[in-house]
Amino acid sequence: MQVSSNQFVEQASEALQQPHAVQTRDILGAFLPPVRDNAAAQFGDFQALRDHVEAVRKHALENLDHYLAQYEEQARDNGNAVHFARSGDELNNIVLDIVRRHDARQIAKGKSMITEETGLNAVLESAGLTVTETDLGEYIIQQAGEKPSHIVGPALHKSPDEIRELFLEKHNFGPRELEDAPAMVEEARRVLREHFLAADIGIIGANALIAENGYSMLVTNEGNGDLCANLPPVLIVCTSVDRILPRAQDAMAMLRLLVRSTTGQPVTCYTSFYSGPRRQDDPDGPVETHVILLDNGRSDILASDYSDMLQCIRCGACLNHCPVYISAGGHAYGSVYPGPMGSVLTPLLSSLEDANALPNACTSCGRCAEVCPANIPLPDLLRDLRHEEVTRGLSPGRWRFGLKTHAWLARHPGLYRWLTGLAVSLMHRLGRKRGGLAKLPMASGWTSQRDFPTPEAGTFMQQYRQMQDAADD
Amino acid sequence: MTDARTDVIARVRHGSRGQSAETVATELARIARGPAAKMPSDDPCVAFLAAIVGNQGTIAVARNRTETVKAVADYLYQRYRSHKLVAGSDPRLAALPWRDAGLLPRFGGAENGEPAALSYAQLGIAETGSIITLTGKSNPAANNLLVEDHIVIVHTNDLVVTLDEAWDRINGMIADKRPRGINMISGPSSTADIAMQLVMGAHGPRRWHVVLAGEVPADALAQARQLNGLD
Repeated sequence: MQVSSNQFVEQASEALQQPHAVQTRDILGAFLPPVRDNAAAQFGDFQALRDHVEAVRKHALENLDHYLAQYEEQARDNGNAVHFARSGDELNNIVLDIVRRHDARQIAKGKSMITEETGLNAVLESAGLTVTETDLGEYIIQQAGEKPSHIVGPALHKSPDEIRELFLEKHNFGPRELEDAPAMVEEARRVLREHFLAADIGIIGANALIAENGYSMLVTNEGNGDLCANLPPVLIVCTSVDRILPRAQDAMAMLRLLVRSTTGQPVTCYTSFYSGPRRQDDPDGPVETHVILLDNGRSDILASDYSDMLQCIRCGACLNHCPVYISAGGHAYGSVYPGPMGSVLTPLLSSLEDANALPNACTSCGRCAEVCPANIPLPDLLRDLRHEEVTRGLSPGRWRFGLKTHAWLARHPGLYRWLTGLAVSLMHRLGRKRGGLAKLPMASGWTSQRDFPTPEAGTFMQQYRQMQDAADD
Repeated sequence: MTDARTDVIARVRHGSRGQSAETVATELARIARGPAAKMPSDDPCVAFLAAIVGNQGTIAVARNRTETVKAVADYLYQRYRSHKLVAGSDPRLAALPWRDAGLLPRFGGAENGEPAALSYAQLGIAETGSIITLTGKSNPAANNLLVEDHIVIVHTNDLVVTLDEAWDRINGMIADKRPRGINMISGPSSTADIAMQLVMGAHGPRRWHVVLAGEVPADALAQARQLNGLD
């Protein structure tokens, strides 16, 4: 997986210089959390649902060898060609082989994070193929030559005006208004309908794979994935080994969580289950279907202390609730997986060397863990990654020295209290007149934007003792 | 070099607990079913109709076969001032008394851009306001994906309350022969990808109309509207 995650700080600074994008993200951060909260409250016992799905996911992952074998057998029985890919390159090559065997020219794609992860489009395009993303958000960023900024709403960073300009430039329909979102959706519908009808191959992802019957579940509101799955003569499902669930009912439980956490709906417009190629007597459907199961580091995560991360259902709730994501935006993360889930997943799928900035893009506020429908302890995993970063010597020497000093001091409480007491009384005396300090050594990151408030009355421990004494008297 | 399949399976086995199939089955059986959503009404018909309105669909009820075809004809006439309709080759649809409504659907698959198609659902689900169809001659893909208006008849005998009950029934339907696709539809095609503004008709049907046929309580329609703050 190609990442530019270690430029997080620079990329975030750039993102903060774009007033319109900042505003768009603020709206997203203000609008989506209450939508999710309302959906969770309407459901009833949402916590019980989370716990149930966690139990199912844990069981499925702990016994993934069993369920992978079962899924593979069922999917083959259903008439699919089942492929395995160790890496993103292997997945891309499998797709390329299929495409070449059919002399295909045009490909219609549904939204798939897996193919974003493997960079499939670039590979297909360099082989001379026309690839059209058909999810409206993905289509917009494909036309703009950009990367997704959100795992669910890939184009949410773009303003209606920008999309309007883009469509006027890219679609050859002459002078027109395109005055609002419905007009732009209408135009995209007209363009994409032709692509669906002309495509030689459809490519989709999967939200879940059901081991007991070999069906894959596809969840969309637009229905674009279904058009890709039903109209072209060949269908390729690009997915990964961690999507497997034991039973159809488990997929239903996950669906209840996923949709409410993503858009606040009780269910999406289209939840489809595909088993394989057209059956005898079927009037339509692909004649050939493939399922590609990607590993790309997931089996390593499964065997590691980070295996909880594989419970992720890609709902995007942690992004919408993360103060860092809302401020910096998805592109700053330099990975197709941004936000808290991306800050854990990106270093695990690429390497900690390539992405150690991401686990640090966290204020440890804990909102992500509060809303994560899969009960993933995201702040704990981020802390563990930071710990690993320090023990492997990947963080700057200055940081490690600072952390070591702090750790040593924390183990010598007498000295710690004396030093902090000294610092507090010094700051109190220096900043008494202004009520704040404009400059502090080693804290320019704070003081460059605002004053550091002057401590009023001693350290926490000093005040604690005073209160205890007062209570004793 | 070993092949990818052998490699991936070996690596997954290394990360798994390596339990016997019996142990896995026992463990799975111990995980009970998860909770379903709270229902807005104890009556499944009311809950189903209310959820459909919540999903941006429109609703009608029909207490017998004549009322069923009339409900379809009324919708078409109001929308298009015509009776042009395509329907899947579903024996249940073919057997309806179309003449009573002065309507004769064309049975088969919809052409690109055709206005309206009719399906007969295998199931309706009250929990989510969804209908289930199975791919095949009775449900050509074009009929629920390429038309402007998708009309669906659901019989009260086929109405279940929860998603889990729906799959209990589906598991029975697919036991002998698995259809290529199982479609759970819960509204018209929609998108919010431009500035989070909800727009209908992203790619597929712009409108979705459900006719609930059978023994529906007299005030179900009114109650469902009321639950959505309409009327």
